[in-house]
Amino acid sequence: MKRIRTIAAVVAVAAVFATTACTSTPPGSSSDPSEKANLTFWSWVPGVDKAVDLWNKENPNIQVKLEQTPAGSSGTYAKMYSALKAGKGAPDLAQIEYQELPGFVLENGLVDLKPLGMGVESSKFVDWQLGQSTFGDSVYAVPQASGPMGLYYREDIFSALGLKAPATWDEYAVAAKTIHDANPAQYINTFAPGNSAWFTALAWQAGAKWFGLDGDTWTVNIDSDTTLKVASYWDKLREAGLIKTEPDFANGWYSDLQNGNIVAWPSAQWGGSILSGNAPTTAGKWKVAPLPQWDSTYASANWGGSSTAVLKGTSNAQAAEKFAVWLNTDPQSISLLLAGGYGWPAAKNALAGSTLDKPEEFLGGQNANKDVFKKSDESINTSWGWIPTTANTYTHLNDGFQAAVEGHGTFVDAVKAAQTATIADLEAKGLKVRAGD
Amino acid sequence: MTTTERAYTGKKGKNQSSKQPSTVQKPRKIQRSPGWRILVTAALAVAAVYFLFPVYWLTIAATKSTSSLFGSSGLALDNPQLLTNLVNVVTYNGGIFGRWALNSVLYSGVGAVVATICSLAAGYCLAKFTFRGREVWFNIILAGVMIPGTALALPLFLLMSQVGLVNTYWSVLLPSLVSPFGVYLGRIYAQAAVPDSLLEASRLDGAGEFRIFFTLVLRLMMPAAVTIFLFQFIGIWNNFFLPLVMLSDQSLYPITLGLVQWQSVSDRHPELYQLAIGGAFLSVIPIMIAIVSLQRFWKAGLTEGSVKG
Amino acid sequence: MVLPLVYAIYESVTGIQRSGAFGQGGSSPVFVGLDNYITALGASAFVASLGRVLLFAVVQVPVMIILATALALLLDAASAWGVRFFRSAYFLPYGVPGVIASILWGFLYTPGLSPLVNFGSALGLNLDFLGGGSILWSIANIVTWQYAGYNMLVIVAQLKSIDADLFEAASIDGANAWQVITRIKLPLIRPAIVLTTVFTIIGTIQLFAEPLVLKPLSSAITSSFTPNLSAYNEAFANNNYNLAAAESVLLALVACAFSFGFLKLVTRGGSPS
Repeated sequence: MKRIRTIAAVVAVAAVFATTACTSTPPGSSSDPSEKANLTFWSWVPGVDKAVDLWNKENPNIQVKLEQTPAGSSGTYAKMYSALKAGKGAPDLAQIEYQELPGFVLENGLVDLKPLGMGVESSKFVDWQLGQSTFGDSVYAVPQASGPMGLYYREDIFSALGLKAPATWDEYAVAAKTIHDANPAQYINTFAPGNSAWFTALAWQAGAKWFGLDGDTWTVNIDSDTTLKVASYWDKLREAGLIKTEPDFANGWYSDLQNGNIVAWPSAQWGGSILSGNAPTTAGKWKVAPLPQWDSTYASANWGGSSTAVLKGTSNAQAAEKFAVWLNTDPQSISLLLAGGYGWPAAKNALAGSTLDKPEEFLGGQNANKDVFKKSDESINTSWGWIPTTANTYTHLNDGFQAAVEGHGTFVDAVKAAQTATIADLEAKGLKVRAGD
Repeated sequence: MTTTERAYTGKKGKNQSSKQPSTVQKPRKIQRSPGWRILVTAALAVAAVYFLFPVYWLTIAATKSTSSLFGSSGLALDNPQLLTNLVNVVTYNGGIFGRWALNSVLYSGVGAVVATICSLAAGYCLAKFTFRGREVWFNIILAGVMIPGTALALPLFLLMSQVGLVNTYWSVLLPSLVSPFGVYLGRIYAQAAVPDSLLEASRLDGAGEFRIFFTLVLRLMMPAAVTIFLFQFIGIWNNFFLPLVMLSDQSLYPITLGLVQWQSVSDRHPELYQLAIGGAFLSVIPIMIAIVSLQRFWKAGLTEGSVKG
Repeated sequence: MVLPLVYAIYESVTGIQRSGAFGQGGSSPVFVGLDNYITALGASAFVASLGRVLLFAVVQVPVMIILATALALLLDAASAWGVRFFRSAYFLPYGVPGVIASILWGFLYTPGLSPLVNFGSALGLNLDFLGGGSILWSIANIVTWQYAGYNMLVIVAQLKSIDADLFEAASIDGANAWQVITRIKLPLIRPAIVLTTVFTIIGTIQLFAEPLVLKPLSSAITSSFTPNLSAYNEAFANNNYNLAAAESVLLALVACAFSFGFLKLVTRGGSPS
């Protein structure tokens, strides 16, 4: 076929061009920081645009071009992986959540930042967050922020019903019933079946530890009694019709927050900016309480911690490292990111005197960071780690949760199925794996 | 001959002389009572409401601020601010929307023109030249019509990444140049509309094969060309999977990808809802106007090219 | 066209072997035969997604074709006012790309935003467009909205090419409108109907953009809702390109089998008059 042959020829010619282009420009390893550099940076963190503007003003030689992307698991990780696979089109820098870092390391997609300066800078960061981006002897990302959890709730609606912020999950279930009984349109929260990262954080809080590494062998322990306890707790609320099961971060949910049909949200510190951005008319009516507890010892969890990583194929790894460290340690940058609501800083001593330590109008004047999140951050079980196929595990949980919501099986079933499927995922990657801790 | 082929060739013998059968002045309608007429019009009107309702909603929504988008009825105006919204759309992020629009036009325009010429040439070769494996090629093309384009997008990505073309204009353009349906249509049409005697005569006059194709055959196959062009243009314009897989650089995005990007970013940046809606409005309205005003060509192309062939 | 398929088949029989917790010990592609196909067909979610698009096709295709044919016949009857306006109105959505149509309808399906849901609840109806029982048909509605007008136009074009003498003869013979439709029009537009049917089958089996856009709005759409979604997810979220390639090949085979099967069926069913 003439046409196909022509195309084949064009492809071949283009391929030759591409190869010559590759060989004529050496891979970006030049390490002179005074050299001009143009970097692209993918991020979805609110407020990061202002920090980037500030950097660009102060560093005319290293210009960063920010591209605001959808949240990582909403397609941006897919784009990064495909660009890495293709060997081109990946950004120099990217936002990567902690649970996704091992996956990028496995695909050989990240630059080891330790020899570029992170080795020296690492003392600036909170240990456990630094641990999330350290694999073996390498540091693959600059920690940015974590998401210590708390309970956002509509204080006005709770107190009208004579409810206090629930201190335990049992009290939470009682509150769920009181709220729904008083007004059938109202629910305490939604169990978003498509957002298993949220469920994972709740299991984390309950004391579960899903993943580990024993020498070269990955361990998977998702279906532990602890996790099953959490799953069956939400199963009971769902079966009693006391919670919604609509997707979070979606129009319907925003609409429910706005009109008071959803009155609470066990969420992370960064959740406040989501609420204030999407339900502006409810300002002043929210408060934050510590996450409800399972036991007498206070425990919290992290949801949505994130880092800034330098991707393979960058034109200037040194400049990129410099920017990534600045972004996450410079006081001015941190306060811009805090204003956007990026989470809890990974840099040490960021609370005192910063914009974090002040009352918030949206929360009716509560200083939630000081009251709740500081202690929450200190009570996270920091031994939690991830596996290179965390995204698959989330998918399995999502699929199982969605099936349960549609009336096929339960959340407990979903957790059990995810255990088996996760072991198969790691095996499919050609890795060694076993069940248990 | 398959049935689809008959779809194109079914009427060829009869209508070759009259190019526009619809204009033949004969009483083709049987007159009905007014009651019947009202009934039919009512049925058509109900269908029209269904097809136009989302367009109406989009138009109303495009005039709203983000807060009244969520806080007011979707059917009525509420402090209309269409102009502000549209200015936001075209100026956001350094005018990236205009870039996406141009990209869409580039992918669709160039893709459709080249695909049309290639398809006609290939179809003509398949129809008028005998060479080894001709039927095999034609059957491959036929199978190509049946294979969903999206099933090929992923393999194409892997292939393009091998040759380093991913995330370039080429990665979306090259696959768009291939139109098995166009080749198929080209062959059917060439069989019917290009008389062998005319070719013989030109060859006797000493015209080269290329000249014959570009001066004579292309002209004869114009109606098929219009159909293939429009078909391919809309196909590329609407394509989503291929650019999604191929492109990671936002400045290469077509409109479809860009708007989905805005829509999915909006979970953390609520102001982008209004941009996504305003962008949808801006991109849909011109195409709708174009489609309706080009309806004549669609019809002509379909009648001449597909149905009558 | 042939090249990507061949390459897909090559990728689909390949797997990967690694050593070390992060593959530091090196990784290499290995020939795994039909393992990826066995994995794909052994995964209940992927098989369910194939079943889902087939169910979708079985319902969607007749609805689409009947609607398009009915609209074409009504327009052609020309007993109505404003035929030109109606024809344009029906054809208009064809210019709206699938993803944009999905964004649009997504808003119209969302409780709290949608005038349709509000209207329904005012009437005491609890309309749930995004739930597990209805989401597939909500998607079908988007597809129908987008393409019914186009299919109608193809059929209208063939109706126009019917020789007017036939109608004259029919009216002289005293045929009524229904007889004209069933005896003359329908048999003569059969080729156009076959054509639109084949294209509708191919279109429905490759369902991707609509569920992708609606996924964040609906709990019922999983990452493997359709075969294409599953392949996309395997390739780019899970980095399992080999499995994704196998799924693409399977999808192409199913689509081919269906379209050819349909063509065989109508060809054997006797030739149109």
